[in-house]
Amino acid sequence: MAKVPRNFRLLEELEKGEKGIGDGSCSYGLEDGDDIMMSHWNGTIIGPGHTVHENRIYSLKITCGDHYPDQPPVVQFISRVNLPFVNQVDGRVDPTKLPVLSHWSRNSSIETVLVEIRREMASFNNRKLPQPPEGSTFL
Amino acid sequence: MALPKRIIKETERLVADPAPGITAAPHDDNLRYFDVTIQGPDGSPFQNGVFRLELFLPEEYPMSPPKVRFLTKIYHPNIDKLGRICLDILKDKWSPALQIRTVLLSVQALLSAPNPDDPLATDVAKHYKENEKDAQRVSREWTEKYASA
Repeated sequence: MAKVPRNFRLLEELEKGEKGIGDGSCSYGLEDGDDIMMSHWNGTIIGPGHTVHENRIYSLKITCGDHYPDQPPVVQFISRVNLPFVNQVDGRVDPTKLPVLSHWSRNSSIETVLVEIRREMASFNNRKLPQPPEGSTFL
Repeated sequence: MALPKRIIKETERLVADPAPGITAAPHDDNLRYFDVTIQGPDGSPFQNGVFRLELFLPEEYPMSPPKVRFLTKIYHPNIDKLGRICLDILKDKWSPALQIRTVLLSVQALLSAPNPDDPLATDVAKHYKENEKDAQRVSREWTEKYASA
């Protein structure tokens, strides 16, 4: 199979993100529309229903380095959230604690990372974790 | 990874007999991925500029068109801030009879003939329609600032 280079892969992701994905519970886009290397992205996750996260809107920063998608992106929460894989000082997602990042595959994408994080929010162990006040941020 | 014969042939010819003002060289680790330069055509606001592009031949090539993007910033109504190009042969007017060479020549021709009626960068197109001379001045400035060899 042809190996899609980083920049064309990110253009595909951008176009998909601009059209809107799934039911809108996860979304993403470029932080700056002038970022020709497409390194810095914003993501949004709407907390899953029937959990402590319900109706909360979480903002994240996603950074795709030079070796993306051979290597996973760096993910950091801007909104405060209490989850076992999120550093409680700076909001960084620990890549060793989130399977989509620790077992990264070229087929994964910014979308799959956001969807997996949202799935984790709804997992049995995480759905009832006490959360910081809504709207507070790490930065 | 076996590369289709057609791509090998096209690559050989691009390297051995390049089109005037155009270079295209495949990456060592991905022979479907090319570094491209295009010289701004004489008489256009992009004259004396050397523009860097990247080109990728998807799995379906030549049944699907190559993907092409500018890496050098350019002030042109049919090229957006991310370097994406609005050109019919890269979309619905693609034909497998076209080649990498013809695509790059068409991109070069687009620099001589901006088409503000089919814009991708709407603000640039508006500028070109309302005051072509002033828009060309900005195109020249950007060429000097971002594309000087």
